[in-house]
Amino acid sequence: MSEPVNPALTRRGFLSTSAKLGAVVMAAPYISRGASAGSDAINVALIGCGAQGRVLLNAAIKIPDLRFKAVCDIWPYNRTYCERLLGKFGHQAKPFEDYKEMLSAVPDLDAVIVATPDFYHAEHANGCMKAGKHVYCEKLMANTVENARSMVLTQRETKKLLQIGHQRRSNPRYQHALGKLVREGNILGRINNLSGQWNRAVSDDLVAPPSQVLPEAVLHKYGYANMHEFSNWRWFKKYAGGPISDLGAHQIDIYNWFLNATPKSVMASGGADYYKSHEWYDNVIAIYEFTTPTGPVRAQYQVLTTTSAGGGYHEYFMGDEGALKMSENPKYTKLYREARAPEWDQWVTKGWLKKPGEGEEGAAVAGKPWDKAEKPKFTMAAPRSSVVDVRETAALSAWDIPVTLDKPIHQPHLENFFDTVRGKTKLNCPADVAFASAITVLRVNEAVAAGAKLTFKPEDFVVA
Amino acid sequence: MNRPVFSHEAMNTYFEVSIASTDQLLARSAAAAAFRELDRLEAELSRFVESSDISRANRLGRGESTVIGDDALECLITAADAALATDRAFDPAYASERPPDLAADALPFTLDPAAHTLTSRTPRLRLDLGAVGKGYALDRMGAVLVEWGLPSACLNSGGSTALALAAPPDAPGWPVGVGEGPSREVLALANSALSGSGIAVQGAHLIDPRSGLAAARTHRAWSLAATGAVADALSTAFFILRDSEVADFCAAHPEIGAALASADAGLILHGALRDAPRFPAS
Repeated sequence: MSEPVNPALTRRGFLSTSAKLGAVVMAAPYISRGASAGSDAINVALIGCGAQGRVLLNAAIKIPDLRFKAVCDIWPYNRTYCERLLGKFGHQAKPFEDYKEMLSAVPDLDAVIVATPDFYHAEHANGCMKAGKHVYCEKLMANTVENARSMVLTQRETKKLLQIGHQRRSNPRYQHALGKLVREGNILGRINNLSGQWNRAVSDDLVAPPSQVLPEAVLHKYGYANMHEFSNWRWFKKYAGGPISDLGAHQIDIYNWFLNATPKSVMASGGADYYKSHEWYDNVIAIYEFTTPTGPVRAQYQVLTTTSAGGGYHEYFMGDEGALKMSENPKYTKLYREARAPEWDQWVTKGWLKKPGEGEEGAAVAGKPWDKAEKPKFTMAAPRSSVVDVRETAALSAWDIPVTLDKPIHQPHLENFFDTVRGKTKLNCPADVAFASAITVLRVNEAVAAGAKLTFKPEDFVVA
Repeated sequence: MNRPVFSHEAMNTYFEVSIASTDQLLARSAAAAAFRELDRLEAELSRFVESSDISRANRLGRGESTVIGDDALECLITAADAALATDRAFDPAYASERPPDLAADALPFTLDPAAHTLTSRTPRLRLDLGAVGKGYALDRMGAVLVEWGLPSACLNSGGSTALALAAPPDAPGWPVGVGEGPSREVLALANSALSGSGIAVQGAHLIDPRSGLAAARTHRAWSLAATGAVADALSTAFFILRDSEVADFCAAHPEIGAALASADAGLILHGALRDAPRFPAS
């Protein structure tokens, strides 16, 4: 066998012979993904290499014809991780601590992905757009209405693209559910109510490895009080909007999108009841009122951070003929038909729905262990059975949506952004749309603080 | 020394981490970081997660390719290597359709590490990292602990694979049991991994990928290797292989150990497991 030519085969011993392994692990001439990006490649940088930045990066490196040229983070620990990951894919990304330095040192950037804490979104997105870059910025658009407004205005002024990371808007399952099931087929009938939630179990505060703690001078320079707040910024009012913003924003954005409306009021209750080392409300329950062409819609939303009960995270649209439980997790996604609804067989014939219990096409050749059922992650105790419960109707049958997202869940939204940069399509979550969602979300915290029902005016959702 | 055990559910089982450290807050934080890494890996490697690299690979037609992440690539290289070295007694693609023109010892996929792509050689690729992914996850979790400045720890996935990092300061290694009944021994495991395969826990679930028939072996098999991923894959292979084939394998790979339980002869040891350090029988 010729000399190994790629790094994956040179760094350790193997059990099998190199001749055998070479037939599976191709020792092709070393052409890495980054290096093979063509002349029409988009030059990209990432600002913010923390947990969410890594998620976006792991999705983006699978998209063809992107060339990562820079990574920026004030924390070397995170920055180095992303730099190394990109290196494995053949991207030579220069590391930076300061985004301004990055923008001047790497002038040929076309686009920037911003995944910094929320209070930095406006500065980073606006700075990049003013420097002539298209921006993909994580949600929530910003931690304050003023910051979000500034981003809309900068986008208009610079005419650069600004996509906000409400990634469900590019998820093919969500697009199918809204476009076909809700709108074209009107399968749910008249939607009167919504509920939604993100419930997660108690989690410890994030702590940095001792050798990686940032000096206080660096933390202060960039506006962080200390390492605890830097690591757990989502829980502090200075940097972000708390769980309703971190988690709730995903689902509340879907309420607006699916109803094609913005709410007219919100009331909410919440509190910093459980965690002693946080500022933000660790549980919030909100009720919105919408007005839609078919009538009023009342929508409940809860974000709970001390329980995983109730099936994780979903948005549940309840109509008089059917209910649609949407989730980014396909296991939580179901449709339920009301007995009074017309039969759904026509939608199965059309390929819009899958009948209860129908498995995926193309079974494996072998039986066990391939066919073994996956154990449920979380099981609740069965409710006590009663002999007859005359108050309840029979359980509705659960139907499935035959659309698969076989990519990292953020990849389609990133692809939509880069395709728009190439002029092939339009953004699925541009600045003005994300602004309306940000207003819808941020007002919940105001309602909790005020202890009152707050009303929205239609103009609240629009930047004049 | 009594050490707290941190536990987390993932990959259809429980993972446990025990760390030799007097700083319990640090140990707890590091274990939490290791478990975050585990959850991330499950999303990349599980065939039950629709958006994973493996699920996507399992939708490829013959000749089609997909870009995979670095962890899927690394894990698949290890899996392919173990499959080739054991003549497919362990095979991560056991459930795939094997086209007539695919040689008996060949795998129905290829990997291009530089481009990070996987290409299917079959119209129906069915990858399952169930017998290597948990060991791979242990290796990555161990790397996280080392990064946190905690080089002495022992991790296990559902009791089926144990990865020992450096020995604790007060012992020659981490106590890890091998064998059953009277022939059970307790290894002092350090900087290596031990994995066991059997049919007692999950029933008859081990199929010989080459014949499609249930494995002939009825008693457990163990493997010792430098990494969790290799140990995990080899324990499955050793359960499938005949006793003499296991012996031959260990003779050809002196860094590997094997232990085979039998009804009458107790525990038969091969290779590196013969001389592995042990705790005295109690």
